[in-house]
Parts: sequence; C-alpha cells; structure tokens
Amino acid sequence: MTNAFRLTNVSKRYEHFAMEKINLCLPEGEIMGLIGVNGAGKSTLLRILAGLSLADSGEVQVLGLQLPADQVEIKRQIGLASEDMRLYGSQTLRWHMDFMAKVYGSWDEAYATKLLRRFDLNENQPVASFSHGQRVKGLLLLNFARRPRLLLLDEPTTGLDPVARAEVLDALSDVLLDGARSVLFSSHNAHDIERLADTITFIHGGRLIANLDTESYLSAWRRVLGHGTLADEVTDWPEVAQVRRSGATTEITFKSYGIALNERLAAQGFEIDAIYPMSLEEIFITTIRGAAQQ
Amino acid sequence: MKTQIELNVPVIRLLIAKDWKLFEKQLAAYVAAGIVALVLLGMAKKWTFYLGSLMLIVVLVAAACFAISSSLINERKQQTLAFVMSLPVSPLDFFLAKLLGNLATFGVPYLFLTLGTVAVILTTPIPDGLLVLSLLVLGHILLAYCISLSIAMAVESEGWNVFTMIGSMVLINPLIAAVNQMPSVANSLQGDIVVWSAWTVAILFAQVTLSLAVLVVTGWVHCRKKAFY
Repeated sequence: MTNAFRLTNVSKRYEHFAMEKINLCLPEGEIMGLIGVNGAGKSTLLRILAGLSLADSGEVQVLGLQLPADQVEIKRQIGLASEDMRLYGSQTLRWHMDFMAKVYGSWDEAYATKLLRRFDLNENQPVASFSHGQRVKGLLLLNFARRPRLLLLDEPTTGLDPVARAEVLDALSDVLLDGARSVLFSSHNAHDIERLADTITFIHGGRLIANLDTESYLSAWRRVLGHGTLADEVTDWPEVAQVRRSGATTEITFKSYGIALNERLAAQGFEIDAIYPMSLEEIFITTIRGAAQQ
Repeated sequence: MKTQIELNVPVIRLLIAKDWKLFEKQLAAYVAAGIVALVLLGMAKKWTFYLGSLMLIVVLVAAACFAISSSLINERKQQTLAFVMSLPVSPLDFFLAKLLGNLATFGVPYLFLTLGTVAVILTTPIPDGLLVLSLLVLGHILLAYCISLSIAMAVESEGWNVFTMIGSMVLINPLIAAVNQMPSVANSLQGDIVVWSAWTVAILFAQVTLSLAVLVVTGWVHCRKKAFY
C-alpha cells in the first residue's frame, strides 16, 4: 500500500518550541485524526506537510514525492484548509472559485456547485461578510472541488458555534464518503476526530504520544471503579494509565484492559464495582496527563 | 533532482493578474491624482508649481506605500499569505509573482507619471533645467520603493516595514537640498537647457543600479526562508 505521507525523523525548532524526530505515516485512502492541546505541534506538522514550513532535519515524503524539492507538484495534489488561513475579504466566493479553477486543472465545477448548495453558501457574497462558519465552509469547498489526493485540515472546527460546527462536521463526513481521499484532520476536540477518523494520533509538546486506529483505543481503554486494598505497585503495571483514589473508592484507568486483569485485582484484595468504556476525549486527557507527568 | 529555477509560469501569471485585479481601482485613483498634479505643474504659475510638485511626490509615495502594504504586508496581516503559498508555487515563484505584480501595480503608475513629468517639463513654460532634479527625485522614490519592497518581503515585522517606508521616503527633502547645492543643478534650474553633470548622472545610475541590486538580493534571501505563512 502506498503512503499519502511519510515523516521520518522530522524535527523543527522554534525559539520556544521544538518538535523532535517525528516518525509518522498515513496509508493512502485513510483518514487520520491528529489530537493535541493548543501549542502541541499540530499546525507545525501540517504546515511542514503542506510545504509552508521547512523541516530543520528529517525526511518528508508526500504522495511519493519529496519535500521541499517537489513542493510544486505536491501542492498541486494536496489541499490545505487551516483555521488561520483567510480568503480575500473584498472578493466574492465566485471570484475565488474562478481563481482556483484557473490554477488547478482538476477543478470540478459541477461538484463545486453541488457543494455550494450542500454548504448553503452564496457564491456572489463578498467573503468579508461571511460568518466564521461560512468562511470555513468556503475554504473547504475551494479545497474539495479540486479533488486533492491528500487533504490537510488544520482545526477546521475551531471557533465555530455548536450549530456551525455540527454543520461543518456533517458536511465533512458526507464529502469524505464521496471518494477515496487521504485526510489528516487536526483538532483539540476529540469528539470531532472520533466521528471521522480511521486512525488517531495524539501529539503533545512536539512529541507523538500514541498512534492507533480508533477502534483499538476505544476497545483497549477502560475505567474500573472499586474498593478494597490495592498495592502501590499497581501504578507500575504496564496496562495501567492512572490510579486515583477518592475516599473509599479507587478509580483505575487501563490503557490495555483485558478480563484477566480482574483476577489480578481480586488477588490484591480489590473488589470491582463497575467497569466503564471510555470516550476518546477521556482517553486523550488521560494520555496527555500521563505524558506531561513523564 | 530538480533545480531551483523551474518556474510555474502560468500560476505566476495568475498571481500577478490577481494582485492587479485586487488593487486596480485604487491605483487608477492614484494615477488620476497624479494627472491632476501634472496639470497643476503644467500651468507654470508659482503656486500651481509648488502645489503640483508636492502633490506629485505625495501621490507617488502613497502609491508606493499602498502597493507594498496591500500586496505584502496586508497579505501576511490578513492571513491570506498561507492561502497563496498553499497554491502550487515555490518560494521563487512567489517572489517573482510579487515582484512582477508590484512592478505592475506600482511600476505602471510610476512610469506613467514619470513620463508625464518629463513631458510637462519639456513642453510647458516650466524651465527645462528642472528635468535633472525631477528625475533624481523620481529615482530616489524608485530606490526607496525597492528598499521598502525588499524589507516587506524579508522582514515579518510590520514596525520595521513602516519605519523603512517612512524613513526612506522622508529622505527626499535632504536629497533635494543636497542636489540643489551642486553647481550644475543650481545654475541650470531656472534655465531652458538640461545640464547633466558627471555627478548627477552617477547619482541617477546609482539609484537605478541599487534598486535592481536590492531586488536581486531580496530574491536570494527569500528563497532561503524556512516558513511561508
């Protein structure tokens, strides 16, 4: 299987931030969610992949081509929509669509018209008068309608009100079903990612913390509540992510839960009251806390 | 291995056309104001001459600052730079598009008003001897524009950009004062003969050469930048 992108030992340093030796790849046709808190390095990673920022060291391969040497050809085949990217406010969306049609031979006008209706956008409205949600949808339309092989979406839902966010996510999920696109979608909101991604990568402080498929996270992580004795060594079990005590109740968060663990806990004198599955957001928060403590 | 001199000419052309389209109305207004200034100059009365020459300098300085601010500083400030750089362009493509786009958006009004100034001086009762001083002032505006353009492309600080634009343009007054001290200029200013001395030719040559050199160095620096957003 070919890769949509492959990062090998990629590092990038700024004055107050460093991303060290990132190794990550996305098989073509898959959707990867990149989750991290603000300042974790999500935008840096996407900018490097989009050719907007050059890595200090390491190898960046996108759609089988090398960055920065093949950046023009790569940019022709990828789409980037980021939260801090703006269109020309004095011009209409139609003007932008015509501009993109001239730049990209792959521009699909029929699809663009369909997306205009789907996103409920007025093509003759100046972009400056768009709401934030309309601006995001406009940017997505300009990217989708040229049918890129790899889509890089940097926090497209950030700053949207709940209704606009739901609209954008609905539209995104519809559109992503349209074709076999590879997508890297960053957010600090795990709910958004959970809905769309095949695989999820956690990033924190410029380091990759975890990279698994969505189902693996959801099936492996469990929160176990109980009471009784529990030796301190339990926190060192490789399956345990976190142990918290509140009065007589103890909460153990497992990152790789298995039924055999119940017996091991019982052998310690620990009585299980309840076992809960965890949401991706809870998994994310626990993982980031663990990474921050290391 | 690809070389750095492969250019995406169709996209460069589109980016130039985009800048022209975005700023054409404002630049037409500058040209219109410049024509008014030339008309005032051509009336060849003392008060219209002072008003016209001042207005012409102000219009050219304003057009230069507008072209740079709109196409470069605002592009970064209004976050449209990431949109442009996400298009299939290399840093060199972007530099050339901005350079040529600016040469169009500022160069067209500049050339038009420069030729207009020459025509007005040579065809109206204004002393032809003013031509040398006028061309040196126009040469200074070109050099100041190129330096400001270069800083805008190389430095991301808006403060430095504004400082350079204002700083380089306010040097017009000392330049006029200094050139007026040259005997060849001072003696021919009121006459109808255009006198080019070795010094005035050297200054004009230096202005044009430095303008070109600044742009070449800027291109070299720009292609070595590591971030474009």
